[in-house]
Amino acid sequence: MSTDPIPAASPSLSRLIRELHKLPGIGPKSAQRLAYYLIRLSDEEAFALADAINSVKRNVLFCEHCQNLTDTSPCAICTGPQRNREQMCVVEDPLDVVALERTHCYQGLYHVLHGAISPLNGIGPDQLKLKELFNRVSGGPVKEVVIATNPTLEGEATAMYIRRGLAGQDVRITHLARGLPVGGSLEYTDELTLSRAFQGRQEL
Amino acid sequence: MAHPRTYHCEALTLKQAPFGEADLLVTLFSRERGKLRAVAKGARRSNSKLVGHLEPITHLRLALNRGRNLDYVTQAQVIDSFPAVKNDLQAIARGFYVAELVDGFASEAHQNLPLYDLALAALGRVAQDSNPDLVLRAFELGLLRVSGFMPELYRCVECGEGLVPERHRFSIDLGGVLCLECRPPSAQIRPLTLRALKVLRLLDRTSLADLHPLQIDDALARELKTLLESAVEFWLDKRVMSQSVLDQVAMEAPA
Repeated sequence: MSTDPIPAASPSLSRLIRELHKLPGIGPKSAQRLAYYLIRLSDEEAFALADAINSVKRNVLFCEHCQNLTDTSPCAICTGPQRNREQMCVVEDPLDVVALERTHCYQGLYHVLHGAISPLNGIGPDQLKLKELFNRVSGGPVKEVVIATNPTLEGEATAMYIRRGLAGQDVRITHLARGLPVGGSLEYTDELTLSRAFQGRQEL
Repeated sequence: MAHPRTYHCEALTLKQAPFGEADLLVTLFSRERGKLRAVAKGARRSNSKLVGHLEPITHLRLALNRGRNLDYVTQAQVIDSFPAVKNDLQAIARGFYVAELVDGFASEAHQNLPLYDLALAALGRVAQDSNPDLVLRAFELGLLRVSGFMPELYRCVECGEGLVPERHRFSIDLGGVLCLECRPPSAQIRPLTLRALKVLRLLDRTSLADLHPLQIDDALARELKTLLESAVEFWLDKRVMSQSVLDQVAMEAPA
């Protein structure tokens, strides 16, 4: 009986399946299917994928200012001449920057924390880019810090920690509005969201 | 007779994790069936009818469908979202600590009503009590009691003799107090002050719901914290992850 949990005809193929199996959400069957798909790709396409992985691992680094992922530090957003340097939006992940940039409604700078305070996973303030945030805000041109952490319990805890850390600084601290999602339904909204939506009601 | 496909239960959410493209894997501690893990389909989408209901530290009424491996949450109604816990950073850290310990001590598919009531009582008081750390100590001792690890506080665990005041020590691995005469080899023995023993006995005799505010000084609070946290970690047999975050948040709290 084979001891390899992922047997394949060739050792190279087995290795590829094992590596793909390490990716999040990829089970052994999906890893096998992806590996056989990669083999059927043209050389050009397969090497382009390998090259993209190579390049991202060699070239991508943290921006020295906003901690976002970038090829050059400081990143394009931090050096953008049109950007409002008096506003800083704090987000949990680089993907949140992408989501906010898609809205075209914010022209300030960002700060990426790379996570949120998550006690159950042992992630405390020290594991996040919070010191960098406090250093950036103190003595800098920033006049408003917009906290855009996720509206989860971990995100709220992170927002409270930031508010506590910035207390005493001469900056306005704001928070993205909490409330009803577009396309949602009052009937199915939980009490906490509904009460916050009510608190944040606006004049029509 | 086959089990019906849908069932209802009352539960406390302990934690959640992303699952698949837009689903959540929720760990629940239910009144009727003990700990269970269930999938909430599409619950990460902002317009899902379940979004917001399944946040950790929420007391819920749920409808679930049985699945082959995991059950599926189909409906959720909040009984108590513990807003006082969620509006304060230290209370959130304490709430996560309670949730992690319940997750660690609860058994899957095994009803444990005393633990269920203890968890709800602790979350109900942890943000509103004048001494929330004492609530946590009462919770830890209660947790050991309902899980069958209650330390002996009245007689020497080795010889069974009643204790003489000021002439006692404590051993977590032996499970209680020791007189000065007993020196079992290989046992981990630590000092225990009479004041700490008295507070432990008081917490033993009082339910968390009936606990009255008690003013205790910093040294005694530290002794009780170290002792009970060590006992909980010893019986849990793993590190309590939320403890370090709780300690850091408390240490940095403005005076």
